[in-house]
Amino acid sequence: MLPTTASIRSWLPLIQKYQGLVGLILLLIVALWKSPHSSDPGALFHSTYFTLANLRNILGQLAVPGILAIGATFVILTGGIDLSAGSLLGLLNCITATWLIHGASAPATIGWVLVLGTLVGAILGSIISYSKLQPFVVTLAGMVSIRGIAFVYTNNANISGLQHQITFFESPWLGIPIAGWILFVTTGIGAVILSKTVFGRRVYAVGGNSEAARYAGVPVNRVRIGAFAINGFCIAVAAVLFTARNSNGQPSAGMGYELDAITAAVVGGTALIGGYGNVLGTFVGALFIVCLNIFLILDSVSYYVGQGWKGVIILLAVYLQNLGRRV
Amino acid sequence: MRLGLLTLTAVAALILAGCGSDERGSGAAATSSDNLPLVVFAQANSADPWRQQFDAETKAEAEKHKAEFNFEEQPAEDDSNKQIGVIETFLVKSPKVLLVSPVTVAVQNEVEKAFDAKIPVILLDRGIPGDKYTVRIGGDNVDIGRQAGEFIAKQLKGKGTVLMIQGLGGVDAADDRRNGAMESFKKYPGITVILGDDCKFQRQAAQNYMESFLQTGKPFDAVYAHNDEMAIGAYQAYEHAATKPKVKPLFVGIDGCQKEVVQMIKDGKLDATFRYPDPGPKGVEVAADILKGNMPKEKKVVLPTVLVTKENADKYLADNPNLAK
Repeated sequence: MLPTTASIRSWLPLIQKYQGLVGLILLLIVALWKSPHSSDPGALFHSTYFTLANLRNILGQLAVPGILAIGATFVILTGGIDLSAGSLLGLLNCITATWLIHGASAPATIGWVLVLGTLVGAILGSIISYSKLQPFVVTLAGMVSIRGIAFVYTNNANISGLQHQITFFESPWLGIPIAGWILFVTTGIGAVILSKTVFGRRVYAVGGNSEAARYAGVPVNRVRIGAFAINGFCIAVAAVLFTARNSNGQPSAGMGYELDAITAAVVGGTALIGGYGNVLGTFVGALFIVCLNIFLILDSVSYYVGQGWKGVIILLAVYLQNLGRRV
Repeated sequence: MRLGLLTLTAVAALILAGCGSDERGSGAAATSSDNLPLVVFAQANSADPWRQQFDAETKAEAEKHKAEFNFEEQPAEDDSNKQIGVIETFLVKSPKVLLVSPVTVAVQNEVEKAFDAKIPVILLDRGIPGDKYTVRIGGDNVDIGRQAGEFIAKQLKGKGTVLMIQGLGGVDAADDRRNGAMESFKKYPGITVILGDDCKFQRQAAQNYMESFLQTGKPFDAVYAHNDEMAIGAYQAYEHAATKPKVKPLFVGIDGCQKEVVQMIKDGKLDATFRYPDPGPKGVEVAADILKGNMPKEKKVVLPTVLVTKENADKYLADNPNLAK
């Protein structure tokens, strides 16, 4: 018995670190087995799942939730949470669509929306830092009022009539939608910020133990505000891509997306208590969820049965993470 | 620590078991066979009563054609982005016919992509701009509104006050049902209309609104709600109100997709509803025709409404076995 226990103990951290990847590989193996047969000559293993069309499909669907999840990871790493991401996405979606329809140029619109998103994130972060209120409560309030603003801003109607100003995000470059490339770049920058910069190390320090970080001279408030600002920036990027994909503005857009983002981070190995995890894990977590969704549709599993399985998988992911980490 | 390995095995086993189980998407797909053509349906949501009945009837119709094609359906929780993903994923499976009940016009690009790939597209209920689809099947809300207005005006003998409880602003169904009814009311100079609040098609919202409205003591002779759920909500508020009109006002709704509503009409609580026809069965029928090589000739198929009152309630129940509860 002893050797087994010891070997598992040595494997466990590795599995925990790469749990999203382990899940993803398992899923791909199952997909190989189960997904419908394809006669497309380009299909690997004669499976519909492993076709170029499906790769494009996966990356097209991944961009928005993936970028939201990258932003959420920064906030979660500092020990915070952002429940307002979906609402902010909805508001920025409406703003992007409205400005473009009223004749603003695409670069200017995108630039201002990115500034706006970052600003809203920074404001939320400041409220949390200086009021000492729980991030959960502050962003819950944000979720409600930002959604309200989106409905007021649009006068409770969808904004349509968008021409093709920003649809290029959806078109492929080297076989992959540009939105997918933007996700790759965002993930890469996020990974570099977290692992190679002082700010990145401070994010982990604040999430690990904010008191200790404070005594060590880390400007805890500024780090929190920075993490929320990065999150806001990511939400704005996602909102632009969302607008490109949907070609309109909807005040109800993005409802519940904040939870998808948190789920991706958790499945990817980021701990909700803060301090553990990274954006590469989150990327894999988001990829896992999108791959799972698509697999369930391709395999004609009922949507609601699929939802049940997703819950089980999240629970197992969190359980696996907590093993050996209990204090 | 052994738990770790156990958990991992459990995850693997669950995923495998989950996918191996035969909990298939739709009843019709349970007997799916690889050599039959595939017909897919991207539904907007499967949550509200009208959609539930829509789903049930669509599946029942697909079941009749199970020797001709496999049928699969996926809902999108009224999220256009999700529906775009569903359609995109469906296209990977190379379906022979695509049915879509669009969440909003936002799915237009994705629908056009399918149409450009020579896949016949049948739009159910809501439409999209442009003409890159094969056929659109649905009811005519303006006409239903007109008929409802006419019915109420006749019942009131051309004289009285109508309280209109409105559906979600900006949604075509609400606008059309209002405008259609207003057209009819205008023909009767004795009819006054009070434009009530936007109660978002929700029972609870209509009940709250009606409670406040009854408090004001303003007289009214009929309630016209843009859907049955709101008509029920308004009736419930009226039923429990301390102060109410001496003569029971008329309560008229639209949709006719719930047994509950028909029962309330039989009990004399509500006075009438107009069926908002569900386009699912017709859509599946057209899909079957397309597979046989008969492309639809018309670009638009308008399904007729049915007026349900106390007189024909029993027959209506018998004719429509798949009504939502």
